[in-house]
Amino acid sequence: MKKTEIFSIAAFKENSIWRQILGICSALAVTNLMMNSLIMGLGVIFSLALSNFTISLIRNWTPRSVRMMVQTLIIASYVIIVDVFLKANLPEISKQLGPYVGLIITNCILMGRAEAFASQNSPIDSLIDGIGAGTGYTLVLLMISFVRELFGFGTIFGFKVLGSWWTNWSIMVMAPSAFFLLAILIWIINTHYYKAKV
Amino acid sequence: MKDSFWFPIVFMLIIVLIFTGILSVMYRLSESKIEAYLTETYERRILGTLAQAIADADAGSADDITAAYPESFHKYVQSMEDKGFERKVYRAVVHDSTVAYCFEIGGKGLWGSMRALVSTSTDFRTIYSLAIVDQQETPGLGARIEEEWFLDQFRNRLFVVNPDSSDDVTQKYEFIAEAQSPVNDSQLKRVTGATITSDSVIKMLQDEFNYIYKYYGTKANEKD
Repeated sequence: MKKTEIFSIAAFKENSIWRQILGICSALAVTNLMMNSLIMGLGVIFSLALSNFTISLIRNWTPRSVRMMVQTLIIASYVIIVDVFLKANLPEISKQLGPYVGLIITNCILMGRAEAFASQNSPIDSLIDGIGAGTGYTLVLLMISFVRELFGFGTIFGFKVLGSWWTNWSIMVMAPSAFFLLAILIWIINTHYYKAKV
Repeated sequence: MKDSFWFPIVFMLIIVLIFTGILSVMYRLSESKIEAYLTETYERRILGTLAQAIADADAGSADDITAAYPESFHKYVQSMEDKGFERKVYRAVVHDSTVAYCFEIGGKGLWGSMRALVSTSTDFRTIYSLAIVDQQETPGLGARIEEEWFLDQFRNRLFVVNPDSSDDVTQKYEFIAEAQSPVNDSQLKRVTGATITSDSVIKMLQDEFNYIYKYYGTKANEKD
């Protein structure tokens, strides 16, 4: 399979959120601001790509009986690296993301890609798959947060785009709006991209 | 070999050692940076709550005092050790006399605990300034308690109005809508859509001032 094909399948065709409904807890939690979504997305891309690469690199030596433990340990290590990096270098964003960075460890996308792809494919292909799946996840986060931040705060990436005439929609900064928007997004994509029949 | 009894154990052990080693090095390299940021943020907030009282007692403005961190912090702010008192306490000292106190207080919000720094007059009855240190409220709603207009409502507010009461030494407050203007001292503007969080801030202040005043206020009165 071509490298570009691996990327596009992971990012779009088999997108973790809209196709597999994985990792939606964090997608719902951090999408009230675009900056939070972007940083969260970059954290997932980093952890996913490198954990996929490492798991694939040692796949021929990993005993089947302990493979899940090894995968979890590797994923957790990369996530902690992201967490420590943010705390040391981007403390304000780290504070805003709160516990959600740490919770990347429990993100089903990472374990899902480790089991479904990295444990059976070459390290480079796994790295590309990780970047693709992470990009697809980030894309969905940014789409949802674009609508939530615009209507909830009148801003895009913190910059005021709607004037003082705009009344912020409180519902958009609360968790239920993320459910509505995600559902609408999945509906639109299923209908137009996959031509799903109702 | 992979199917032997010992291989999975040894393999797991090696993987654990490698990754915990990487994490330990990474954390050690970043630890000082993280600690320094946390300390600086905290000290800046303490200084911010005490700045006006320091400026009133000494030369300069509150902005000058806060801008001169860390020199101004070390010059004016002292940490107080009091084993009988279960809160962190700081005092602002100008020309060898205490001009204000700052307490770290805590309470419960809608989603979790919150911590704040409150500076008080030397008789512990008036709030000089309030700053939220930590909260887990909804961004865009309850988290707006950190906004200046909300916190400014407490600035220079006489909070302990019943110093002789054995029950509640503080004043009862009534919340009004954010767009309205208070008509008397017992009215405060709440954050729209965050009634529980706004109430929590008041409850935290009332609970903590009852504790602070009964501990320190009584001592201050005895001295008088």
